Amino acid sequence: MIRVDYGYMNARIRGMKGRLLNRDALERLINKPDVEGVMVELQRTSYREEIEKASVRFSGMSCIETAVRNDFTSAFRKILGHVHGEDAEKYIRILLNRWDVQNIKTILRGKNIHAPAPEIMDCLVPAGELDEVTLAELVKQPDVKSVIDLLATWRIPYAQPLTRSFKEYFERQDLPVLEYALDRFSFDHALEMVKGDAYDNQILRLMIMAEIDVTNLKTVLKLIRDRAPADEAGQYLLKGGISLDLAKLQSLVRTGSIEAAVKQLKGTPYEFLGKVPAEVFIQEKISVIEKELDKYLIKKGVSQFFKDPLSIALAVGYLWAKYNEVTNIRIIARCKTADISEKELREELLYV
Amino acid sequence: MEQVNPTRMELLKKRAQIRLAEQGRDLLREKMDALIREFFKIMDTVSDSREKLELVAETAQRSLIVALAVDDSVALKSASFATRKGFTLDIRGKNVMGVPVPVIEKKRLSRSIFERGYSIIGVSGRIDEVAEKYEAELDLVVELAETETSLKRLGGELQMTRRRVNALEQVLIPDLKRQEKYIETTIDEREREDLFRLKKVKKIIQRKKIAPQSRDRT
Repeated sequence: MIRVDYGYMNARIRGMKGRLLNRDALERLINKPDVEGVMVELQRTSYREEIEKASVRFSGMSCIETAVRNDFTSAFRKILGHVHGEDAEKYIRILLNRWDVQNIKTILRGKNIHAPAPEIMDCLVPAGELDEVTLAELVKQPDVKSVIDLLATWRIPYAQPLTRSFKEYFERQDLPVLEYALDRFSFDHALEMVKGDAYDNQILRLMIMAEIDVTNLKTVLKLIRDRAPADEAGQYLLKGGISLDLAKLQSLVRTGSIEAAVKQLKGTPYEFLGKVPAEVFIQEKISVIEKELDKYLIKKGVSQFFKDPLSIALAVGYLWAKYNEVTNIRIIARCKTADISEKELREELLYV
Repeated sequence: MEQVNPTRMELLKKRAQIRLAEQGRDLLREKMDALIREFFKIMDTVSDSREKLELVAETAQRSLIVALAVDDSVALKSASFATRKGFTLDIRGKNVMGVPVPVIEKKRLSRSIFERGYSIIGVSGRIDEVAEKYEAELDLVVELAETETSLKRLGGELQMTRRRVNALEQVLIPDLKRQEKYIETTIDEREREDLFRLKKVKKIIQRKKIAPQSRDRT
């Protein structure tokens, strides 16, 4: 095992953090009258290079979206480059795995309906372990089976759950069977990787467990809204949450109403959901509750900056801060294209 | 005026034609009244559904913008791969005053989150909301397709009937009446000429009868 030079990584990530847009920069973006104005303003920030590259092929919203996405991807690749060959690489890869899962799901969905390869490629974000070349090769495969076979040939861990569930998928012709297996495996695999008492392991484990909680809560809300039977809830829930175990989650589903479920969260870290306006519960508008949960997770992620600087905490904090930043830029730009008022735009922003 | 034979036979024919045209016009007017009644009945439901559709489309568009902004367009497109499915609708036809209008099978196209084809774990509630609202919009579009097509067809038929009534009222019947009048006038004229001619002949005959008597007397 190679000892991690956190001093070097710390310095580099702090440098990258310094280039993140602060409140003033976001305010300037909000005050721009249109999407072109946002683009000009972004050219005065660290997004300049990506905006210039993207403007060759795209204009307006597509240009901003592509530039922001590419900047997001390259930031993670940069971090991976700084820790290459070190023990910390494992942790960074765990953090980036969510994009691999998303990309594999997109490829499987595309292959399931025989979508053209370029169309599938356009929907991939090569921010994870699977780079663009690997993803392109997967997209070239003729069907779902070949994609899974290729993943198995390359000994990519995600092939395991997919191979195990393929028979069921084939018999039922039901893609979610593969997706559930992949989702479950990705969280189990991540928790497996951060077993042990090391400080870095603890930091990552707590973050992943919090993410499992939030994902489960979102699933519970969906199950309640769709009046799913409580005894079937187990198959959609993930194990390994920090504050909400399966029994508690199932009891939430059994309440049968979103308001009652939120009330039952008293005493957990998620009791803040009780402050959500009552009409949200009446209209069962779960996207508003999800937004509060996302904010909670982002705040928790960004707060890692204040933990031990000579640990993986800084990288975790940076990844969440960057995610928050690109989401906010996208929200501002989209709202500008749709002529949404400034007040509504500020309501839509995730966490500034 | 077209060439018309000013005969009694022709006059009788023209009168029969006028009667038939007036009967046709009255029937078409009755059909038009019935079509108008049916048209307005459907129009009420169409305008209600249109308003509802506009409202649903607006909220769906708003949800789409929010989902595109927060979840990124690639996540949305990826979810759309999973939900991309065709659907079949059973369309039959019915007759309203002789106008064939479609009857589309009432089928609910909105699906539950378990039927959309993606895992509910990995897709955000915002994307779910977009799918839900666009499915609701699709339901209304199918509903409107039936009523709007009926409305269009009834409207078309109404226009055609109106044109027919106008053609009968403004062109055919006045033409036939003019011809009837012409024949009547011509026949009357001819009768008067005949009468005059007969009187003239009678006078000549009488004059011829009187002339030999007076010659004999002298």
